[in-house]
Amino acid sequence: MNSIISQWKADLLRTVRDRRFLLISLIMPVTFYLIFIHDGKAAIAGTDWGAYFMVSMASFGVVGAAVNTLGVRLSAERQGGWVRWLRTTPLSAVGYALVKVATQLLISLIIVLVVFLAAHVDQAVTLSTGRWAVLLAWLWIGSVPFAALGVLIGLAKTSAQVLGTLAFVGLSLLGGLLTPVQSLSPTMRTLAYWMPTYRYADPAWNLLAGRSLGLSNMAYLVGYTVIFLAAAAFVQQHLDSHPNAN
Amino acid sequence: MNPVICFDHVTKSFTHTRAVDDVSLKIFAGQSVTLLGPNGAGKSTSIALMLGLQKPTSGRVTLFGANPVRSISHERLGVVLQNVSIPDRLRVTECINLARGFYPHPLPLSTLLHLSGLEADAHLWANSLSGGKMRRLQFALAMAGDPHLLFLDEPTVGMDVAAKHHFWDTLHTLVTAGKTILLTTHDLNEADLISSRVIVMNHGRIVADAAPEVIKTQFASRQIHFSCATTDLLDALQNWPETVSVESRGQHYTISTRDSDQTLRRLLGRPWPIHDVLVTGGGLEEAFMRLTKEETK
Repeated sequence: MNSIISQWKADLLRTVRDRRFLLISLIMPVTFYLIFIHDGKAAIAGTDWGAYFMVSMASFGVVGAAVNTLGVRLSAERQGGWVRWLRTTPLSAVGYALVKVATQLLISLIIVLVVFLAAHVDQAVTLSTGRWAVLLAWLWIGSVPFAALGVLIGLAKTSAQVLGTLAFVGLSLLGGLLTPVQSLSPTMRTLAYWMPTYRYADPAWNLLAGRSLGLSNMAYLVGYTVIFLAAAAFVQQHLDSHPNAN
Repeated sequence: MNPVICFDHVTKSFTHTRAVDDVSLKIFAGQSVTLLGPNGAGKSTSIALMLGLQKPTSGRVTLFGANPVRSISHERLGVVLQNVSIPDRLRVTECINLARGFYPHPLPLSTLLHLSGLEADAHLWANSLSGGKMRRLQFALAMAGDPHLLFLDEPTVGMDVAAKHHFWDTLHTLVTAGKTILLTTHDLNEADLISSRVIVMNHGRIVADAAPEVIKTQFASRQIHFSCATTDLLDALQNWPETVSVESRGQHYTISTRDSDQTLRRLLGRPWPIHDVLVTGGGLEEAFMRLTKEETK
Protein backbone atom coordinates (compact mmCIF):
# COMPACT_ATOMS: atom_id res chain seq x y z
CA MET A 1 0.00 0.00 0.00
CA ASN A 2 2.88 2.35 0.86
CA SER A 3 4.46 1.67 -2.50
CA ILE A 4 1.23 2.67 -4.23
CA ILE A 5 1.05 5.94 -2.28
CA SER A 6 4.68 6.68 -3.07
CA GLN A 7 4.11 6.10 -6.79
CA TRP A 8 0.93 8.17 -6.74
CA LYS A 9 2.66 11.12 -5.09
CA ALA A 10 5.37 11.10 -7.77
CA ASP A 11 2.79 10.78 -10.54
CA LEU A 12 0.80 13.76 -9.28
CA LEU A 13 3.97 15.88 -9.00
CA ARG A 14 4.91 15.02 -12.57
CA THR A 15 1.40 15.77 -13.81
CA VAL A 16 1.27 19.19 -12.18
CA ARG A 17 4.65 20.04 -13.73
CA ASP A 18 3.68 18.91 -17.22
CA ARG A 19 3.06 21.97 -19.41
CA ARG A 20 1.94 19.90 -22.39
CA PHE A 21 -0.71 18.35 -20.18
CA LEU A 22 -1.87 21.73 -18.84
CA LEU A 23 -2.10 23.09 -22.38
CA ILE A 24 -3.99 20.21 -23.96
CA SER A 25 -6.18 19.15 -21.10
CA LEU A 26 -7.06 22.37 -19.29
CA ILE A 27 -6.34 25.47 -21.33
CA MET A 28 -7.53 24.14 -24.69
CA PRO A 29 -11.11 23.13 -23.71
CA VAL A 30 -11.62 26.29 -21.66
CA THR A 31 -10.25 28.53 -24.42
CA PHE A 32 -12.33 26.79 -27.08
CA TYR A 33 -15.38 27.24 -24.89
CA LEU A 34 -14.78 30.96 -24.46
CA ILE A 35 -13.91 31.53 -28.15
CA PHE A 36 -16.55 29.49 -29.94
CA ILE A 37 -19.54 30.35 -27.83
CA HIS A 38 -21.38 33.41 -29.09
CA ASP A 39 -25.01 33.00 -28.16
CA GLY A 40 -25.17 30.90 -25.01
CA LYS A 41 -28.94 31.17 -24.82
CA ALA A 42 -29.62 29.62 -28.25
CA ALA A 43 -31.71 26.47 -27.96
CA ILE A 44 -30.20 23.10 -28.95
CA ALA A 45 -31.34 19.52 -28.30
CA GLY A 46 -33.71 20.49 -25.53
CA THR A 47 -31.25 22.66 -23.63
CA ASP A 48 -29.30 25.85 -24.30
CA TRP A 49 -26.04 26.17 -26.21
CA GLY A 50 -24.04 27.42 -23.20
CA ALA A 51 -24.73 24.23 -21.23
CA TYR A 52 -24.57 21.95 -24.28
CA PHE A 53 -21.15 23.20 -25.34
CA MET A 54 -19.93 23.03 -21.74
CA VAL A 55 -20.52 19.25 -21.86
CA SER A 56 -18.83 19.08 -25.29
CA MET A 57 -15.70 20.83 -24.04
CA ALA A 58 -15.53 18.92 -20.74
CA SER A 59 -15.69 15.67 -22.77
CA PHE A 60 -13.11 17.04 -25.21
CA GLY A 61 -10.70 17.78 -22.34
CA VAL A 62 -11.21 14.42 -20.63
CA VAL A 63 -10.75 12.47 -23.88
CA GLY A 64 -7.58 14.45 -24.65
CA ALA A 65 -6.08 13.74 -21.25
CA ALA A 66 -6.88 10.03 -21.42
CA VAL A 67 -6.10 9.21 -25.04
CA ASN A 68 -3.29 11.62 -25.69
CA THR A 69 -1.51 12.46 -22.45
CA LEU A 70 -1.95 9.10 -20.69
CA GLY A 71 -1.01 7.15 -23.84
CA VAL A 72 2.14 9.18 -24.48
CA ARG A 73 3.16 8.98 -20.83
CA LEU A 74 2.68 5.20 -20.54
CA SER A 75 4.55 4.67 -23.79
CA ALA A 76 7.47 6.81 -22.62
CA GLU A 77 7.72 4.91 -19.33
CA ARG A 78 7.69 1.56 -21.13
CA GLN A 79 10.07 2.60 -23.88
CA GLY A 80 12.53 4.08 -21.41
CA GLY A 81 12.80 0.80 -19.50
CA TRP A 82 11.39 2.43 -16.37
CA VAL A 83 8.44 0.00 -16.22
CA ARG A 84 10.91 -2.88 -16.47
CA TRP A 85 12.81 -1.52 -13.48
CA LEU A 86 9.59 -0.96 -11.53
CA ARG A 87 8.77 -4.63 -12.04
CA THR A 88 11.89 -5.50 -10.03
CA THR A 89 10.64 -3.45 -7.05
CA PRO A 90 7.92 -4.47 -4.58
CA LEU A 91 5.44 -2.28 -6.51
CA SER A 92 3.16 -4.82 -8.23
CA ALA A 93 1.86 -4.53 -11.78
CA VAL A 94 -1.63 -4.16 -10.33
CA GLY A 95 -0.38 -1.38 -8.05
CA TYR A 96 1.16 0.44 -11.00
CA ALA A 97 -2.09 0.15 -12.98
CA LEU A 98 -4.13 1.36 -9.99
CA VAL A 99 -1.94 4.43 -9.64
CA LYS A 100 -2.32 5.27 -13.32
CA VAL A 101 -6.10 4.89 -13.10
CA ALA A 102 -6.32 6.93 -9.90
CA THR A 103 -4.20 9.73 -11.39
CA GLN A 104 -6.29 9.71 -14.55
CA LEU A 105 -9.55 9.87 -12.61
CA LEU A 106 -8.31 12.80 -10.58
CA ILE A 107 -7.21 14.60 -13.75
CA SER A 108 -10.62 13.99 -15.37
CA LEU A 109 -12.35 15.35 -12.30
CA ILE A 110 -10.28 18.54 -12.35
CA ILE A 111 -10.82 19.09 -16.08
CA VAL A 112 -14.58 18.72 -15.80
CA LEU A 113 -14.70 21.06 -12.79
CA VAL A 114 -12.61 23.72 -14.54
CA VAL A 115 -14.79 23.65 -17.67
CA PHE A 116 -17.95 23.79 -15.50
CA LEU A 117 -16.53 26.79 -13.68
CA ALA A 118 -15.70 28.59 -16.94
CA ALA A 119 -19.21 27.98 -18.27
CA HIS A 120 -20.80 29.12 -15.05
CA VAL A 121 -18.76 32.34 -14.90
CA ASP A 122 -18.76 33.22 -18.60
CA GLN A 123 -22.22 32.09 -19.71
CA ALA A 124 -23.99 32.01 -16.35
CA VAL A 125 -24.85 28.34 -16.85
CA THR A 126 -26.89 27.41 -13.80
CA LEU A 127 -28.16 24.00 -12.79
CA SER A 128 -29.52 22.57 -9.57
CA THR A 129 -26.86 21.18 -7.21
CA GLY A 130 -28.20 17.67 -7.80
CA ARG A 131 -27.92 18.01 -11.58
CA TRP A 132 -24.39 19.44 -11.38
CA ALA A 133 -23.42 16.44 -9.25
CA VAL A 134 -24.96 13.83 -11.58
CA LEU A 135 -23.42 15.52 -14.62
CA LEU A 136 -20.01 15.56 -12.94
CA ALA A 137 -20.33 11.94 -11.84
CA TRP A 138 -21.27 10.81 -15.34
CA LEU A 139 -18.46 12.68 -17.11
CA TRP A 140 -16.10 11.24 -14.53
CA ILE A 141 -17.11 7.58 -14.65
CA GLY A 142 -17.92 7.58 -18.35
CA SER A 143 -14.26 8.38 -19.11
CA VAL A 144 -13.22 4.75 -18.42
CA PRO A 145 -13.24 3.57 -22.09
CA PHE A 146 -10.90 6.43 -23.03
CA ALA A 147 -8.49 5.49 -20.26
CA ALA A 148 -8.57 1.96 -21.74
CA LEU A 149 -7.82 3.41 -25.19
CA GLY A 150 -4.96 5.40 -23.61
CA VAL A 151 -3.54 2.17 -22.19
CA LEU A 152 -3.76 0.57 -25.66
CA ILE A 153 -2.02 3.54 -27.30
CA GLY A 154 0.59 3.44 -24.53
CA LEU A 155 1.70 0.03 -25.80
CA ALA A 156 2.70 1.54 -29.14
CA LYS A 157 6.43 2.02 -29.45
CA THR A 158 7.61 5.26 -30.99
CA SER A 159 4.30 6.13 -32.64
CA ALA A 160 2.30 6.72 -29.43
CA GLN A 161 2.40 10.50 -29.78
CA VAL A 162 1.10 10.46 -33.36
CA LEU A 163 -1.52 7.81 -32.62
CA GLY A 164 -2.67 9.65 -29.51
CA THR A 165 -3.07 12.96 -31.31
CA LEU A 166 -4.86 11.32 -34.24
CA ALA A 167 -7.26 9.44 -31.98
CA PHE A 168 -7.92 12.55 -29.87
CA VAL A 169 -8.63 14.91 -32.78
CA GLY A 170 -10.38 12.27 -34.90
CA LEU A 171 -12.69 11.02 -32.16
CA SER A 172 -13.51 14.57 -31.02
CA LEU A 173 -14.36 15.75 -34.55
CA LEU A 174 -16.28 12.66 -35.65
CA GLY A 175 -18.09 12.27 -32.33
CA GLY A 176 -19.59 15.75 -32.50
CA LEU A 177 -17.65 17.33 -29.62
CA LEU A 178 -16.38 20.26 -31.71
CA THR A 179 -19.47 20.74 -33.91
CA PRO A 180 -22.82 19.43 -32.67
CA VAL A 181 -24.16 16.33 -34.46
CA GLN A 182 -27.36 18.26 -35.27
CA SER A 183 -25.35 20.39 -37.73
CA LEU A 184 -23.66 17.43 -39.45
CA SER A 185 -24.68 15.84 -42.77
CA PRO A 186 -26.78 12.63 -42.42
CA THR A 187 -23.76 10.44 -43.31
CA MET A 188 -21.50 12.13 -40.79
CA ARG A 189 -24.26 11.97 -38.23
CA THR A 190 -24.61 8.21 -38.69
CA LEU A 191 -20.86 7.90 -38.32
CA ALA A 192 -20.96 10.05 -35.16
CA TYR A 193 -23.45 7.66 -33.57
CA TRP A 194 -20.76 4.97 -33.75
CA MET A 195 -18.15 7.05 -31.97
CA PRO A 196 -17.34 6.41 -28.26
CA THR A 197 -17.00 10.18 -27.86
CA TYR A 198 -20.61 10.73 -28.93
CA ARG A 199 -21.77 7.91 -26.68
CA TYR A 200 -19.87 9.52 -23.80
CA ALA A 201 -21.24 13.06 -24.26
CA ASP A 202 -24.81 12.12 -25.25
CA PRO A 203 -25.91 10.96 -21.76
CA ALA A 204 -24.67 14.28 -20.36
CA TRP A 205 -26.59 16.23 -23.02
CA ASN A 206 -29.62 14.10 -22.16
CA LEU A 207 -29.23 14.99 -18.49
CA LEU A 208 -29.26 18.70 -19.37
CA ALA A 209 -32.49 18.28 -21.36
CA GLY A 210 -34.07 16.21 -18.60
CA ARG A 211 -34.02 12.98 -20.66
CA SER A 212 -32.75 9.61 -19.45
CA LEU A 213 -29.07 8.72 -19.96
CA GLY A 214 -29.91 6.17 -22.67
CA LEU A 215 -29.16 2.47 -22.29
CA SER A 216 -27.73 2.09 -25.78
CA ASN A 217 -25.07 4.69 -24.91
CA MET A 218 -23.98 2.55 -21.96
CA ALA A 219 -23.90 -0.56 -24.13
CA TYR A 220 -21.65 1.17 -26.66
CA LEU A 221 -19.26 2.41 -23.96
CA VAL A 222 -19.03 -1.01 -22.28
CA GLY A 223 -18.44 -2.58 -25.71
CA TYR A 224 -15.64 -0.13 -26.54
CA THR A 225 -14.01 -0.67 -23.13
CA VAL A 226 -13.99 -4.42 -23.68
CA ILE A 227 -12.55 -4.04 -27.20
CA PHE A 228 -9.78 -1.64 -26.09
CA LEU A 229 -8.80 -3.76 -23.10
CA ALA A 230 -8.85 -7.00 -25.09
CA ALA A 231 -6.66 -5.39 -27.75
CA ALA A 232 -4.27 -4.12 -25.04
CA ALA A 233 -4.07 -7.59 -23.46
CA PHE A 234 -3.41 -9.14 -26.86
CA VAL A 235 -0.60 -6.69 -27.69
CA GLN A 236 0.91 -7.12 -24.21
CA GLN A 237 0.98 -10.90 -24.58
CA HIS A 238 2.57 -10.59 -28.01
CA LEU A 239 5.28 -8.31 -26.57
CA ASP A 240 5.96 -10.69 -23.64
CA SER A 241 6.66 -13.67 -25.88
CA HIS A 242 9.72 -11.98 -27.37
CA PRO A 243 13.16 -12.28 -25.79
CA ASN A 244 13.83 -8.55 -25.63
CA ALA A 245 10.47 -7.46 -24.32
CA ASN A 246 10.00 -6.44 -20.74
CA MET B 1 21.52 -22.65 4.45
CA ASN B 2 18.87 -21.63 1.94
CA PRO B 3 20.11 -20.14 -1.31
CA VAL B 4 19.22 -16.54 -2.19
CA ILE B 5 18.77 -17.51 -5.83
CA CYS B 6 18.08 -21.06 -6.99
CA PHE B 7 17.71 -22.42 -10.54
CA ASP B 8 16.47 -26.00 -10.68
CA HIS B 9 16.83 -27.42 -14.22
CA VAL B 10 15.61 -24.20 -15.77
CA THR B 11 14.95 -23.91 -19.50
CA LYS B 12 13.62 -20.85 -21.29
CA SER B 13 12.68 -21.18 -24.94
CA PHE B 14 11.56 -18.52 -27.37
CA THR B 15 10.03 -19.15 -30.77
CA HIS B 16 13.32 -19.78 -32.53
CA THR B 17 15.88 -20.16 -29.78
CA ARG B 18 16.54 -21.88 -26.50
CA ALA B 19 18.03 -19.00 -24.53
CA VAL B 20 18.59 -20.92 -21.28
CA ASP B 21 19.16 -24.65 -21.53
CA ASP B 22 18.67 -26.83 -18.43
CA VAL B 23 20.57 -24.59 -16.03
CA SER B 24 20.86 -25.39 -12.32
CA LEU B 25 22.65 -23.09 -9.91
CA LYS B 26 22.53 -21.79 -6.36
CA ILE B 27 23.74 -18.45 -5.08
CA PHE B 28 24.10 -18.12 -1.30
CA ALA B 29 23.93 -15.15 1.05
CA GLY B 30 27.17 -13.18 1.26
CA GLN B 31 28.52 -14.35 -2.08
CA SER B 32 29.73 -11.88 -4.65
CA VAL B 33 29.11 -13.42 -8.04
CA THR B 34 29.85 -12.27 -11.58
CA LEU B 35 27.89 -13.64 -14.50
CA LEU B 36 29.99 -13.61 -17.67
CA GLY B 37 29.25 -14.59 -21.24
CA PRO B 38 29.33 -13.29 -24.78
CA ASN B 39 26.22 -11.62 -26.23
CA GLY B 40 23.47 -14.17 -26.76
CA ALA B 41 24.92 -16.57 -24.17
CA GLY B 42 21.74 -16.54 -22.10
CA LYS B 43 22.92 -14.04 -19.50
CA SER B 44 20.14 -11.50 -20.01
CA THR B 45 17.46 -14.17 -20.06
CA SER B 46 18.84 -15.75 -16.87
CA ILE B 47 18.72 -12.33 -15.23
CA ALA B 48 15.16 -11.73 -16.45
CA LEU B 49 14.21 -15.10 -14.91
CA MET B 50 15.88 -14.31 -11.57
CA LEU B 51 14.12 -10.96 -11.33
CA GLY B 52 10.74 -12.36 -12.31
CA LEU B 53 10.60 -10.39 -15.57
CA GLN B 54 10.19 -13.67 -17.49
CA LYS B 55 8.77 -17.07 -16.55
CA PRO B 56 10.74 -20.25 -17.25
CA THR B 57 9.47 -22.64 -19.93
CA SER B 58 10.35 -25.51 -17.59
CA GLY B 59 12.13 -25.92 -14.27
CA ARG B 60 11.86 -23.75 -11.18
CA VAL B 61 13.39 -20.40 -10.24
CA THR B 62 13.28 -19.11 -6.67
CA LEU B 63 14.36 -15.79 -5.18
CA PHE B 64 14.65 -15.79 -1.37
CA GLY B 65 12.80 -19.11 -1.55
CA ALA B 66 9.78 -17.57 -3.32
CA ASN B 67 8.59 -17.19 -6.89
CA PRO B 68 10.40 -14.09 -8.28
CA VAL B 69 7.34 -13.13 -10.32
CA ARG B 70 5.60 -12.22 -7.05
CA SER B 71 6.50 -8.65 -6.18
CA ILE B 72 6.61 -9.45 -2.45
CA SER B 73 9.88 -11.35 -3.07
CA HIS B 74 11.45 -8.06 -4.26
CA GLU B 75 11.43 -6.42 -0.83
CA ARG B 76 15.03 -7.45 -0.14
CA LEU B 77 16.22 -6.94 -3.71
CA GLY B 78 17.95 -3.92 -5.22
CA VAL B 79 18.45 -3.70 -8.97
CA VAL B 80 20.49 -1.63 -11.42
CA LEU B 81 19.43 -2.38 -14.99
CA GLN B 82 20.90 -1.11 -18.25
CA ASN B 83 19.08 1.33 -20.52
CA VAL B 84 16.65 2.62 -17.95
CA SER B 85 15.72 6.25 -18.34
CA ILE B 86 14.53 7.97 -15.19
CA PRO B 87 11.09 9.61 -15.52
CA ASP B 88 11.11 13.31 -16.36
CA ARG B 89 9.90 16.16 -14.14
CA LEU B 90 11.26 14.62 -10.92
CA ARG B 91 14.20 15.93 -8.92
CA VAL B 92 16.98 13.63 -7.72
CA THR B 93 15.66 13.63 -4.15
CA GLU B 94 12.07 13.04 -5.28
CA CYS B 95 13.21 10.14 -7.40
CA ILE B 96 15.10 8.54 -4.50
CA ASN B 97 12.14 9.12 -2.17
CA LEU B 98 9.86 7.48 -4.72
CA ALA B 99 12.03 4.35 -4.60
CA ARG B 100 12.30 4.53 -0.78
CA GLY B 101 8.51 4.45 -0.63
CA PHE B 102 8.46 1.02 -2.30
CA TYR B 103 10.31 -0.77 0.53
CA PRO B 104 9.34 -1.62 4.12
CA HIS B 105 12.72 -0.59 5.62
CA PRO B 106 14.30 2.08 3.41
CA LEU B 107 17.71 3.65 4.06
CA PRO B 108 17.64 7.36 4.97
CA LEU B 109 17.75 9.81 2.05
CA SER B 110 21.01 11.34 3.29
CA THR B 111 22.71 7.91 3.39
CA LEU B 112 21.64 7.21 -0.18
CA LEU B 113 22.83 10.60 -1.43
CA HIS B 114 26.17 9.97 0.28
CA LEU B 115 26.50 6.40 -1.05
CA SER B 116 25.95 7.58 -4.60
CA GLY B 117 27.95 10.80 -4.20
CA LEU B 118 25.02 12.89 -5.41
CA GLU B 119 24.78 15.32 -2.44
CA ALA B 120 25.62 18.31 -4.64
CA ASP B 121 23.11 17.26 -7.31
CA ALA B 122 20.21 16.52 -4.97
CA HIS B 123 17.98 19.28 -6.31
CA LEU B 124 18.68 18.86 -10.02
CA TRP B 125 16.15 17.34 -12.42
CA ALA B 126 16.93 13.62 -12.36
CA ASN B 127 16.72 13.04 -16.10
CA SER B 128 19.15 15.88 -16.84
CA LEU B 129 22.07 14.13 -15.09
CA SER B 130 25.14 13.11 -17.10
CA GLY B 131 25.71 9.44 -17.97
CA GLY B 132 27.98 8.69 -15.03
CA LYS B 133 25.78 10.48 -12.50
CA MET B 134 22.72 8.74 -13.94
CA ARG B 135 24.37 5.38 -13.18
CA ARG B 136 25.02 6.60 -9.62
CA LEU B 137 21.40 7.66 -9.23
CA GLN B 138 20.33 4.20 -10.39
CA PHE B 139 22.65 2.74 -7.77
CA ALA B 140 20.98 4.94 -5.14
CA LEU B 141 17.55 3.68 -6.31
CA ALA B 142 18.78 0.07 -6.08
CA MET B 143 20.06 0.68 -2.53
CA ALA B 144 16.88 2.48 -1.44
CA GLY B 145 15.34 -0.54 0.28
CA ASP B 146 18.56 -1.58 2.08
CA PRO B 147 18.66 -4.78 -0.01
CA HIS B 148 20.17 -8.14 0.98
CA LEU B 149 20.71 -8.97 -2.67
CA LEU B 150 22.08 -6.34 -4.98
CA PHE B 151 21.84 -7.04 -8.68
CA LEU B 152 23.98 -4.91 -10.99
CA ASP B 153 23.83 -5.11 -14.78
CA GLU B 154 26.96 -3.41 -16.20
CA PRO B 155 27.04 -0.92 -13.31
CA THR B 156 30.14 1.09 -14.25
CA VAL B 157 29.40 1.72 -17.94
CA GLY B 158 29.78 5.46 -18.54
CA MET B 159 31.75 6.13 -15.33
CA ASP B 160 35.20 7.69 -15.41
CA VAL B 161 38.14 5.93 -13.76
CA ALA B 162 37.87 7.78 -10.44
CA ALA B 163 34.13 7.11 -10.20
CA LYS B 164 34.71 3.44 -11.00
CA HIS B 165 37.24 3.09 -8.19
CA HIS B 166 34.95 4.85 -5.75
CA PHE B 167 32.14 2.53 -6.83
CA TRP B 168 34.27 -0.60 -6.38
CA ASP B 169 35.24 0.57 -2.88
CA THR B 170 31.54 0.97 -2.07
CA LEU B 171 30.83 -2.56 -3.33
CA HIS B 172 33.69 -3.93 -1.21
CA THR B 173 32.15 -2.32 1.86
CA LEU B 174 28.81 -3.93 1.02
CA VAL B 175 30.38 -7.37 0.52
CA THR B 176 32.15 -7.01 3.85
CA ALA B 177 28.81 -6.12 5.43
CA GLY B 178 27.48 -9.50 4.24
CA LYS B 179 25.41 -8.42 1.24
CA THR B 180 24.95 -10.75 -1.70
CA ILE B 181 26.02 -9.18 -4.98
CA LEU B 182 25.31 -10.42 -8.47
CA LEU B 183 27.04 -8.59 -11.27
CA THR B 184 27.23 -8.75 -15.02
CA THR B 185 30.04 -6.90 -16.72
CA HIS B 186 32.16 -6.71 -19.83
CA ASP B 187 35.03 -5.40 -17.72
CA LEU B 188 36.85 -8.56 -16.63
CA ASN B 189 39.08 -6.55 -14.36
CA GLU B 190 35.92 -5.51 -12.51
CA ALA B 191 34.79 -9.13 -12.19
CA ASP B 192 38.23 -10.10 -10.86
CA LEU B 193 38.27 -7.26 -8.31
CA ILE B 194 34.81 -7.65 -6.88
CA SER B 195 33.74 -11.28 -7.17
CA SER B 196 34.59 -14.37 -5.22
CA ARG B 197 32.79 -16.50 -7.77
CA VAL B 198 32.53 -16.30 -11.55
CA ILE B 199 29.87 -18.07 -13.60
CA VAL B 200 30.59 -18.24 -17.33
CA MET B 201 27.67 -18.90 -19.67
CA ASN B 202 27.71 -19.81 -23.34
CA HIS B 203 24.92 -21.11 -25.59
CA GLY B 204 22.44 -21.07 -22.75
CA ARG B 205 24.55 -23.25 -20.48
CA ILE B 206 27.01 -22.78 -17.63
CA VAL B 207 30.50 -23.62 -18.92
CA ALA B 208 32.44 -22.67 -15.80
CA ASP B 209 31.50 -21.85 -12.21
CA ALA B 210 34.36 -21.25 -9.76
CA ALA B 211 36.47 -18.66 -7.96
CA PRO B 212 38.24 -16.30 -10.40
CA GLU B 213 41.66 -17.70 -9.36
CA VAL B 214 40.53 -21.26 -10.10
CA ILE B 215 39.17 -20.27 -13.49
CA LYS B 216 42.35 -18.42 -14.31
CA THR B 217 44.62 -21.32 -13.39
CA GLN B 218 42.41 -23.81 -15.19
CA PHE B 219 41.77 -21.93 -18.36
CA ALA B 220 44.47 -19.29 -18.71
CA SER B 221 48.20 -19.88 -19.06
CA ARG B 222 50.84 -17.53 -17.68
CA GLN B 223 53.78 -16.16 -19.56
CA ILE B 224 57.34 -16.05 -18.22
CA HIS B 225 59.61 -13.62 -20.04
CA PHE B 226 63.41 -13.54 -19.58
CA SER B 227 66.65 -12.94 -21.39
CA CYS B 228 69.55 -15.33 -21.82
CA ALA B 229 72.54 -14.52 -24.03
CA THR B 230 74.55 -17.74 -24.06
CA THR B 231 72.91 -20.91 -25.27
CA ASP B 232 69.85 -21.84 -27.29
CA LEU B 233 67.29 -23.03 -24.69
CA LEU B 234 64.36 -23.62 -27.04
CA ASP B 235 64.46 -27.43 -27.11
CA ALA B 236 65.02 -27.80 -23.36
CA LEU B 237 62.10 -25.51 -22.51
CA GLN B 238 59.73 -27.19 -24.91
CA ASN B 239 60.29 -30.55 -23.26
CA TRP B 240 58.99 -29.50 -19.85
CA PRO B 241 55.54 -31.02 -19.30
CA GLU B 242 53.79 -27.84 -18.07
CA THR B 243 54.99 -25.79 -21.06
CA VAL B 244 52.28 -24.73 -23.51
CA SER B 245 54.55 -22.98 -26.02
CA VAL B 246 57.90 -21.19 -26.28
CA GLU B 247 58.88 -18.25 -28.42
CA SER B 248 62.32 -16.72 -28.80
CA ARG B 249 63.38 -13.51 -30.42
CA GLY B 250 67.16 -13.17 -30.28
CA GLN B 251 68.08 -13.54 -26.63
CA HIS B 252 64.51 -12.85 -25.38
CA TYR B 253 62.33 -15.82 -24.47
CA THR B 254 58.62 -16.11 -23.68
CA ILE B 255 57.26 -19.35 -22.20
CA SER B 256 53.53 -19.94 -21.92
CA THR B 257 52.96 -22.29 -19.02
CA ARG B 258 50.13 -23.98 -17.19
CA ASP B 259 52.13 -23.84 -13.93
CA SER B 260 54.29 -20.75 -13.63
CA ASP B 261 55.62 -21.71 -10.17
CA GLN B 262 56.99 -25.03 -11.40
CA THR B 263 58.52 -23.49 -14.53
CA LEU B 264 60.21 -20.79 -12.46
CA ARG B 265 61.68 -23.36 -10.08
CA ARG B 266 63.14 -25.30 -13.01
CA LEU B 267 64.46 -22.16 -14.68
CA LEU B 268 66.27 -20.90 -11.59
CA GLY B 269 67.55 -24.41 -10.78
CA ARG B 270 69.48 -24.61 -14.05
CA PRO B 271 72.95 -23.09 -14.40
CA TRP B 272 71.78 -20.77 -17.20
CA PRO B 273 72.69 -17.07 -16.91
CA ILE B 274 69.13 -15.82 -17.21
CA HIS B 275 68.10 -12.29 -16.20
CA ASP B 276 65.21 -9.80 -16.39
CA VAL B 277 62.55 -12.38 -15.38
CA LEU B 278 58.94 -11.20 -15.68
CA VAL B 279 55.74 -13.21 -15.07
CA THR B 280 52.57 -11.93 -16.76
CA GLY B 281 49.13 -12.90 -17.96
CA GLY B 282 46.89 -15.57 -16.62
CA GLY B 283 44.13 -12.99 -16.72
CA LEU B 284 40.44 -13.70 -16.53
CA GLU B 285 40.16 -12.29 -20.02
CA GLU B 286 42.29 -15.05 -21.52
CA ALA B 287 40.36 -17.69 -19.55
CA PHE B 288 37.10 -16.18 -20.73
CA MET B 289 38.20 -16.12 -24.36
CA ARG B 290 39.33 -19.71 -24.18
CA LEU B 291 36.19 -20.92 -22.41
CA THR B 292 33.76 -19.32 -24.81
CA LYS B 293 35.84 -20.20 -27.89
CA GLU B 294 36.09 -23.88 -26.97
CA GLU B 295 32.35 -24.04 -26.65
CA THR B 296 31.78 -22.43 -30.03
CA LYS B 297 33.77 -25.10 -31.86
